Amino acid sequence: MYRYDDIDREFLADRSAEFRDQVNRRLAGELTEDQFKPLRLMNGLYLQLHAYMLRIAIPYGSMDSRQLRKLAWIARKYDKGYGHFTTRTNLQFHWIKLADTPDILDHLASVDMHAIQTSGNCIRNTTADPYAGATPEEVDDPRVWSEAIRQWSSLHPEFSYLPRKFKIAITAAPKDRTAARVHDIGLAIKRNRKGDLGFEVMVGGGLGATPHVGPTIREFLPAEQLLSYLEAILRVYNRLGRRDNRTKARIKILVASLGAEEFGRQVEAEWAAIGAGSDLPAGEMARIRAAFATKTFETLPERSESFEVAKSADPAFARFVRNNVKAHRAPGYAIVEISLKAIGETPGDASADQMEVIADLGERYGQDDIRVTHEQNIVLPHVKLDDLPAVHAALAKAGLATPNINLISDIIACPGLDYCALANARAIPVAQHIAERFANQDRAELIGELKIKISGCINACGHHHVGHIGILGVDKKGEEFYQLTLGGSGAEDASVGKVLGPALPANRVAEAIDAMVDVYLSQRQTGERFLDTLRRTGPAPFKEAVYADAH
Amino acid sequence: MRALTANRLSDGEVVFWSQGRWVERFAEAQLFADEAAAAAEAAEGHAKTETKVVVEPYLIDLVESEGLWAPLSYRERIRALGPTNHPFHGKQSEGGAVIEALQHASGAARSKGRVDLIRRK
Ligand code: SF4
Repeated sequence: MYRYDDIDREFLADRSAEFRDQVNRRLAGELTEDQFKPLRLMNGLYLQLHAYMLRIAIPYGSMDSRQLRKLAWIARKYDKGYGHFTTRTNLQFHWIKLADTPDILDHLASVDMHAIQTSGNCIRNTTADPYAGATPEEVDDPRVWSEAIRQWSSLHPEFSYLPRKFKIAITAAPKDRTAARVHDIGLAIKRNRKGDLGFEVMVGGGLGATPHVGPTIREFLPAEQLLSYLEAILRVYNRLGRRDNRTKARIKILVASLGAEEFGRQVEAEWAAIGAGSDLPAGEMARIRAAFATKTFETLPERSESFEVAKSADPAFARFVRNNVKAHRAPGYAIVEISLKAIGETPGDASADQMEVIADLGERYGQDDIRVTHEQNIVLPHVKLDDLPAVHAALAKAGLATPNINLISDIIACPGLDYCALANARAIPVAQHIAERFANQDRAELIGELKIKISGCINACGHHHVGHIGILGVDKKGEEFYQLTLGGSGAEDASVGKVLGPALPANRVAEAIDAMVDVYLSQRQTGERFLDTLRRTGPAPFKEAVYADAH
Repeated sequence: MRALTANRLSDGEVVFWSQGRWVERFAEAQLFADEAAAAAEAAEGHAKTETKVVVEPYLIDLVESEGLWAPLSYRERIRALGPTNHPFHGKQSEGGAVIEALQHASGAARSKGRVDLIRRK
């Protein structure tokens, strides 16, 4: 994992001291709220319904046990003993006091963490495949490139005041676990026929009020030219983005209005003008790569007897393995997904105790490597098969062994009206009701992969547009209603869901999901996921089931 | 009936205006009758000058609930209670008749707080 050097540390200390001074001046009345608000947002501090919210960057969702333990400690000391992992693989604390924030930033800096660029019209945290360095399908380690982007984009003066916020994702395997096509820039690492490393570059994806799946503007960009090409994209955006209209200011609107071809042409022209001077020197790239040097894995047999024995002896463990354990590239190892979607709990929340359990397990059994997924779960990417029974037992004891990864109860939900000042409606209780309705794990497994995503308003932090079933909270004269969308996907087969029909009151959402699941189960053909059946049949039978009693 | 609310600058706590000071409990909030619109607006005007104490004060409409008053908008009820996913977090943890009246209140309206926030963005 990448370690900060002295310059990074000094910089964070300065930044934190600067914010301490700004907070003091605000509390003393020397700064007005209008002057102070942009300053606190630059440090990830929002004012929400009940308190301040601090959003902490977890670069490309990757951290170690020391960092996670510090987050747990902050949760206990300064919050109410928990934190919320977000779809941007960041962590939010929802009960923060302004006056405490400078101290919190110092504590974060002590473990090389901060909240810079978690808000504002700048380049935000890059999303990377949470299975980086572990999945056998990987073309190259996306963390190397994400770290290069992090260093390049951190406080980049040219890109600190973009027309709007800007999000980049890097997927490094054919299976996209980053929702790359709905980011401002999605990068897919590839090799060309000659075996050279490069990126497919997709630009202009995004969610929000006008969702777009990003078109590819370049099929193959030589990897070492990544930064100059990104610079060219951002320059075109900086120049032509709609600063005059906030709702049209994201790059997706620019790409859609120019057309992908013309946008791509302008980027290529800009790129030619920039030249190679903006690319990272090979030596620097090698330095970053060395920080992610391949872990040394023990030479183990493919098959672990103790693991097989535990699986046949303990059905709960076997179920966990079926759903939460994924293939690793090293024989005798596995990737473990820890679901933060315990039935009836808040999606993405982890208590301080749970964070410590995960930190301990990561340190003891997982090469001290911990990842956050954009689906609000945690990954231990390198666990020996031999150790899986012990890891499972410890997770179960901490309420962290819910075997539902990718199943119907593995729901994304934004904080919604329970916390967020912008929300129309709550998202968390809707997720809880649905999960409770499908608490029976046999049934959930029978249904198979089904991604439900819930947002409390059109800002779409809960990615509802790309849910197989999306749920959007809307405000009908002040009452919470929920609009369903069907057929979205954030994966490699990305698509934007279509609105099913009139919005439903809160108490009808879970039953509507149930009705659609019944349609799927009765209509599915062998091997079809919910999404596949829906794509084959179209929405009509689902719509009929949901609105049957309205006729 | 209306009340005046804001978030406290130092910690973000939801506060209500009560006879010249800010209180944390909705139960202690000063209630402004519809006939006393001038008094409500004067309080709001004064609150806007208290920039070292609170952020973004605004008036909220109230509705009767179980013989008591509760915010009309659901958003404002959540502010006055705390998040529904953690019943022991926020003001609701104290319990009591006013809290229950808020929890049982019905009625709906757009929240001025949210409308203002979106307009300012
Ligand atoms: S989608 Fe809306 S309600 Fe949900 S977190 Fe984002 S802004 Fe808040």
